[in-house]
Amino acid sequence: MSLEVNVAGEQLVLLPERAIYWPRKQTLLVADTHWGKAATLRAAAIPIPGGTTSADMERLSGIVQSTGAKRMVLLGDAIHAREGRAPRTLRAVGEWREAHRALDILLIRGNHDRRSGDPPASLGIECANAPVAEPPFVFQHFPGKAEGGYALAGHMHPAIRLTGRGKEKKTLVCYWFTDCCGVLPAFGALTGVALVTREPGDRVYVVAGEEVIAV
Amino acid sequence: MTAFDTIRDWFHSRGWEPFAFQEEVWRAYLNGESGLIHAATGTGKTYAAWLGPLLEWMQGDGEVNPPLRVLWITPLRALVADTENSLRNALLGLDIPWRLEQRTGDTKAAVRARQKKRMPTALVTTPESLALLLAREDAKEMFGDLRLVICDEWHELMGSKRGVQTELILARLRIWNPNMRTWGLSATLGNLEVAMATLLGSGWEKGRMVRGVVPKEVRVDSLIPEHMDNFPWAGHLGINMLPQVVQAIEEGATTLVFTNTRSQTEIWYQAILAARPDWADKMALHHASLERKTRDFVEDALRAGTMRCVVCTSSLDLGVDFTPVDRVIQIGSPKGVARLLQRAGRSGHRPGVVSRITCAPTHAWELVEVAAARDAYLAGAIESRYPVERPLDLLAQWVVTVAVSGGFVGAEMLDEVRRTYAFRELSDAEWNWVLEFVTHGGEALRAYPEYARVSMDDGRFVISNRMVARRHLLSTGTIVSDSAMDVRYTTGGRLGSVEEGFIARLRPGDRFAFSGKVLQFVRIRDMTAWVKKAPVAEGGIIPSWEGGRMPLSNELAAALRKRFEEARNGRFEGPEMQALKPVFETQASISRVPSTHEFLIERVETKEGHHLFFYPFAGRLVHEGLAALIALRVSRVKPISFSISCNDYGFELLAPHAAPLEEALARDLLSTEGLGRDIMESLNAAEMARRQFREIARVAGLTFNGYPGQNKSVRQLQASSGLLFDVFMRYDSGNLLLDQANREVLERQLERSRLGQTLERLSSGTVVIQDMKRPSPLCFPLMVDRTRNRVSSEKLGDRIRRMAAQVEKARH
Repeated sequence: MSLEVNVAGEQLVLLPERAIYWPRKQTLLVADTHWGKAATLRAAAIPIPGGTTSADMERLSGIVQSTGAKRMVLLGDAIHAREGRAPRTLRAVGEWREAHRALDILLIRGNHDRRSGDPPASLGIECANAPVAEPPFVFQHFPGKAEGGYALAGHMHPAIRLTGRGKEKKTLVCYWFTDCCGVLPAFGALTGVALVTREPGDRVYVVAGEEVIAV
Repeated sequence: MTAFDTIRDWFHSRGWEPFAFQEEVWRAYLNGESGLIHAATGTGKTYAAWLGPLLEWMQGDGEVNPPLRVLWITPLRALVADTENSLRNALLGLDIPWRLEQRTGDTKAAVRARQKKRMPTALVTTPESLALLLAREDAKEMFGDLRLVICDEWHELMGSKRGVQTELILARLRIWNPNMRTWGLSATLGNLEVAMATLLGSGWEKGRMVRGVVPKEVRVDSLIPEHMDNFPWAGHLGINMLPQVVQAIEEGATTLVFTNTRSQTEIWYQAILAARPDWADKMALHHASLERKTRDFVEDALRAGTMRCVVCTSSLDLGVDFTPVDRVIQIGSPKGVARLLQRAGRSGHRPGVVSRITCAPTHAWELVEVAAARDAYLAGAIESRYPVERPLDLLAQWVVTVAVSGGFVGAEMLDEVRRTYAFRELSDAEWNWVLEFVTHGGEALRAYPEYARVSMDDGRFVISNRMVARRHLLSTGTIVSDSAMDVRYTTGGRLGSVEEGFIARLRPGDRFAFSGKVLQFVRIRDMTAWVKKAPVAEGGIIPSWEGGRMPLSNELAAALRKRFEEARNGRFEGPEMQALKPVFETQASISRVPSTHEFLIERVETKEGHHLFFYPFAGRLVHEGLAALIALRVSRVKPISFSISCNDYGFELLAPHAAPLEEALARDLLSTEGLGRDIMESLNAAEMARRQFREIARVAGLTFNGYPGQNKSVRQLQASSGLLFDVFMRYDSGNLLLDQANREVLERQLERSRLGQTLERLSSGTVVIQDMKRPSPLCFPLMVDRTRNRVSSEKLGDRIRRMAAQVEKARH
């Protein structure tokens, strides 16, 4: 179950699949896919079973279809590392791209992209350096204040630790909106998290299984 | 004059007489035998093992500086220097021209280079360093004339994965040198046969069991708090006993103060120093994380008798002989009889002196544990050590090591590995899985050509990628469960190392005590924790560095139940029980003191939530498993979330709402039916296997912690073991390392058979549910424990909404 929120006067839909849909622009916002992370680990002789990138691509297909998005903005760290550009990984991404040929894709380059390089031209992904303004938003990779708009960013892989009566404790991946910047959860499943330090006034929405819940 | 006469003469010249058991070992060694020597510390085990090969040399060739003949393996780096000294004394005394050196992680590059050219005749080393030597391509030649391997403190090694690593090393050395002998030195254990089997591997029945000097008399007493009514019911620092401890130190000439954790060591050191600043240059602290130089200084001063007191952990438990020590104080419960005796044995090395250990309780209930420990000691109930069975993570690590050293042929290697006790029952399927795992990464990875760790070359398994080899060797040294980080001043200067897990909890500016100093944490960079001296008198010190928490042994748990039964019947024998009388009375007035056939469950509501306390008195390891099982079974009655804490007496289930305890009891709460299945399910529910996987992932080379200077390129390889566990569960559920994680939890943490026995004992007794108005003394330690497992049967979304609503309520 997704959750509709209002950010900088715009209606945004927070999806439990770890992506935002912006209905007015029919645009899907996704951050930190880290394609090929498993392949990178395998290249370093760390035996990670296959299937992680394909599962991520399936999840991405699912939300492209369910939202009917015409366009996708990737907020950085598309490919995990140079070693992650394994033929099999690129094939999985290529097949996904074939299935969604009509989708316009814009990648805002992140720190990983700088080392791993832009995705192959055959994928038809437009690449740009941050910031890219699209009022009222400014797309960038690193979270932080942006000139002339409300920033939407990735990079951090935010999560929050919830506590409750009976010494309950649970850490969940989250969306985090401060007064000037919104941070998306990392889309890639094989990624770690960083705990957010919540300030008064911040809005935090956790991904709890198939739901997005305000906390 | 025979060689034996020469040795006897040398003994006489030092005022000693060889013990019969020493001569027995010398003869057995010359006769080609292997075996295990068990005796108390400081009773001549070292020379029993060491003089055999010297006799052999004296009777034989008399070659000057012969090639490597003797390996001396010790579990702790801290023991290496001391061992080398006593071995050297014999060489000098008998005028034997052997080179004797050490090889550890601390060995300097120049010495390493010299050893690379030529090994000394005898080498003192640790299992990790030895494993690295075996990874060298010329290893076989290097160990070509090896006659004897001595495993010191085998009782410490045998119960751990490092013990299994040693078993594998020994098996390989025996293949190279069929006449090689192995002797183990051990403290007395309940299962010495198993200790010998692990040491000698296949054919161990032919080994010789040698009993050394019978342990001398040990006196166990306690420091009794002056006012029992304000002595705490929980806690682990025990600093309120400071005046009595200081007084006890004053009574002795040199005192060792043993603690159970390193943080306790630091805190006690600071406290004693604050109480007696005049002792500043006559006291020190000693634990395994400290810089080598500091430890050496302390050990030398102890031997010289210039120390008034040293605060230490198990790093001084073993071997090192400090004759001047005349008093041992144990802070907190010793948790086991063998440990109690080992520590007591550090004092009273002078003839005719009784070893004495004085326990200072950190909270009231530890007084019963001391009384129980004394009972168990007097009854001769010594604990057993259980070896690790078939750790496939370690086997995977080992075959890669062998592949680095020049490779192996599959069938030969299997035969070699099966000669160890740990892998004697390794199945063909498991072996093939390990080979598959190190070559292709397992079944799930067959299709990924970019993965290659070990490859086949002309029928041999070898390693071709040098980077892979290098990374493997760097991680081989870290079997210990948590990776260590250097602690350094920002201005330069290394202080020692500390577990990453502890540093990860600190925020910049936080203060903590380490190496006897109060430090302020600055930042982490390049696998190093950078610190500076903390400004004086500013806030408190964080005492949250718990280190290993030792569980109560079986033997002690049984003795403890007996003491509770006595107390219930109004019998309070001995000073500890006398002192505890008012605490038992409070327990009886708020709740009750359970008899041995009662299973007491206490129930109370506080502002934290609804608490249930269960008291099986079976030791913490069993309670961990039992708590997860009971939580699972209760949570089947209705959706509920529990947080769980455990100690040696019982466990707590804490929930935000009242748990359906009566309904669960009426159903199957204590049933042994479907136990196996329920245990597996509860262990997943409490994420216990997921946590166990952390160590397995590291040993098997799935996670890599990086090393200085390599961090930037390594960062992209970081994936947490928890994440990996989830990925394996989903995409490669047949992975035997997952299986191993379950097995390790079952065998070591849950002790399935003990768990079943405990359940039977509980269900055959009377269950007593005691509702309370306020927490009892017995439940108090459980209530304040912050280390918790969790089990929930609520839908995640419902749970989060409930927690979010509470936060809302708290804000308004």
